[in-house]
Amino acid sequence: MEANEIKTALASAVEDVLETMCFTTVLSSEQGTVPRGVDGGALAITAALRFHGCPSGGFRVSVPQTLARVLGAGFLGVDESEVSDAQAGDVVCELANMICGSVLSRLESETTFRITHPELIPAEPGFEGPSTCGRFDLGDGVLTASLQLQQAI
Amino acid sequence: MMELQVLIVDDSPVMRAFIRRVLDLSGLVVSRCLEASNGEEALRLLENNWVDAVLTDINMPEMDGEELLRRMSEHDVFRLIPVLVVSTDRTEGRIQKMLSLGAKGYVTKPFAPETLREVLEQSLGVVNGSE
Repeated sequence: MEANEIKTALASAVEDVLETMCFTTVLSSEQGTVPRGVDGGALAITAALRFHGCPSGGFRVSVPQTLARVLGAGFLGVDESEVSDAQAGDVVCELANMICGSVLSRLESETTFRITHPELIPAEPGFEGPSTCGRFDLGDGVLTASLQLQQAI
Repeated sequence: MMELQVLIVDDSPVMRAFIRRVLDLSGLVVSRCLEASNGEEALRLLENNWVDAVLTDINMPEMDGEELLRRMSEHDVFRLIPVLVVSTDRTEGRIQKMLSLGAKGYVTKPFAPETLREVLEQSLGVVNGSE
């Protein structure tokens, strides 16, 4: 699987999910490998999940808390002030689930994957080891998405 | 216009809220919207409530959407209720499996309101917006 193919799939999936589910447009994006800790910290919300199939791997989405509320408001169709912390976290988890499913189907349309339930983890947008990472500027903050594929043994 | 009673089955409260909102935006008239967080809860609700359609996720704790479909297809009454699967899984194998178990339609997340309306109307046998 080519690195550029993964980057393209990641960018397309993020744009598709955010536009359709949160009515939010990606203003600009950059992709590469982001070391652990970048964009992390106490004010970020990170959702992580694992997927099993061919290939298996992990996926993470990290957003600043303020952006999580904006995305939550778009997702639920309510004012930002009405979005609770729990709802903001749930929305980030749902976005991680949908973006991951969308990326995998773009990369391996014939493979059935089992995706674990997304969980909120201490803010760490990236993985230890090689991964593909995209940073997407939404105007109200930057969403970071990281995909790690396990090497076949 | 046809008024619908629907049951939304998804373990995520925000996703259930999103689907409710999308149903509203789609122009469909939903007079009653029941919610369940897994297949077991859904079956309990169906015991005491008639609905025109069930919209269900696949991956859920306790009882997943696949088992819910299987149980409904074995029930004398529940098998008459159209089931629409709403899932992130867009692999052909999974879609065919759910359709073979009796699902009337399959919508992949993310989805636009008009897509949900179109597939739901097809599942209900509605032609051009009328019964």
